Amino acid sequence: MAQSAANGVDQDLASKRLHSRMEASCLELALEGERLCKAGDFKGGTAFFEAAVQVGTEDLKTLSAIYSQLGNAYFYLKEYGKALEYHKHDLTLARTIGDRIGEGKASGNLGNTLKVLGRFDEAVVCCQRHLDISQEQGDKVGEARALYNIGNVFHAQGKQQLWGCTQDPGDLPLDVRDTLQRATGFYEMNLCLVKELGDRAAQGRAYGNLGNTHYLLGNFVEAIKFHRQRLSIAKEFGDKAAERRAYSNLGNALIFLGQFNTATEYYRKTLQLSRQLRDQVMEAQACYSLGNTYTLLQQYERAIDYHLKHLYIAQELTDRVGEGRACWSLGNAYVSLQNHKQALHYARKHLDISKEIGDRNGELTARM
Amino acid sequence: EAKSSAVASSQIIHSDGGEMEPETMEIKSVSEYFTKMHLGSVC
Repeated sequence: MAQSAANGVDQDLASKRLHSRMEASCLELALEGERLCKAGDFKGGTAFFEAAVQVGTEDLKTLSAIYSQLGNAYFYLKEYGKALEYHKHDLTLARTIGDRIGEGKASGNLGNTLKVLGRFDEAVVCCQRHLDISQEQGDKVGEARALYNIGNVFHAQGKQQLWGCTQDPGDLPLDVRDTLQRATGFYEMNLCLVKELGDRAAQGRAYGNLGNTHYLLGNFVEAIKFHRQRLSIAKEFGDKAAERRAYSNLGNALIFLGQFNTATEYYRKTLQLSRQLRDQVMEAQACYSLGNTYTLLQQYERAIDYHLKHLYIAQELTDRVGEGRACWSLGNAYVSLQNHKQALHYARKHLDISKEIGDRNGELTARM
Repeated sequence: EAKSSAVASSQIIHSDGGEMEPETMEIKSVSEYFTKMHLGSVC
């Protein structure tokens, strides 16, 4: 009898020890996952977080944080299906333990993920819930972020509605205009709040996106004003990627004001920064924009120079659409220079690529 | 919808509608939570 009681105590102790070791092991794995994600190694981070989930923990708040970070890591890895799955787990868990702030955060992350998946209506519901909870909890930072995220959803929806539209910015169908105006409204509310909070980095993001929505609405002067403010904050923080974005967006807006020479200056800065950042996709885009702007300036030799640079990068990146566009632009520039031999050469290349990628519009234009 | 390679210059510039600022994801930190819990139990 005494022996069996002693055995029971031993088993209980062993089970407690194992349990505490597993808790410690889960935490250690999660902390390593967190460290890797902070260092930008999301792939490595997910491996540790997933191992932590396998080991398991009874601390549901820790588990919620692990799910949340797994969701974010997959979001940055562009594996949106998995991101969605983990943010949903996090939301369920936060609700189960009655963690309202946690529920708000999970809703915000879920909203962002649904947005990139193009599920805009569901995204708005999630971001609105983040906003409601933040307001209920008196969480001003969360409120500002939720306003920004809702703005983002309408902004992305407006851009998607514009796909395939051939109109110039500003010449918009009513529903698109309405969506973009909603986005602008939320960005304005966000800007007001982040100014109050003294959050300069968030102000920078709000200015940048306000510049973009005004650009799409055709308010180019306003867009330039916002992009200049974005540029100034980017410089303040030494944020080269944001600086590059601002120059590129400024160039685009200036084109529509007919200020082609100033636009080339900004695109050149974009090009320089893209090279500094070793971002070949953006380098190609900058060359392309420069080529197009020199075409508008009727400086065809320079245009050809940049379109060729664009072509080489597109080939390096095996970007067939980009290559096709470069050939199309080169063909046009050579026509303007009356160099029919080269024009025909690039028109043929454009036709071949259009056929290959099934670009019917490109094919028809090339045949003309 | 697939992007076409044949677009007028102004539309090419416009085609992507400007570069958006990045999303802000909410963060739930395990280490911060653990530190809080630990401090709580010490106090």
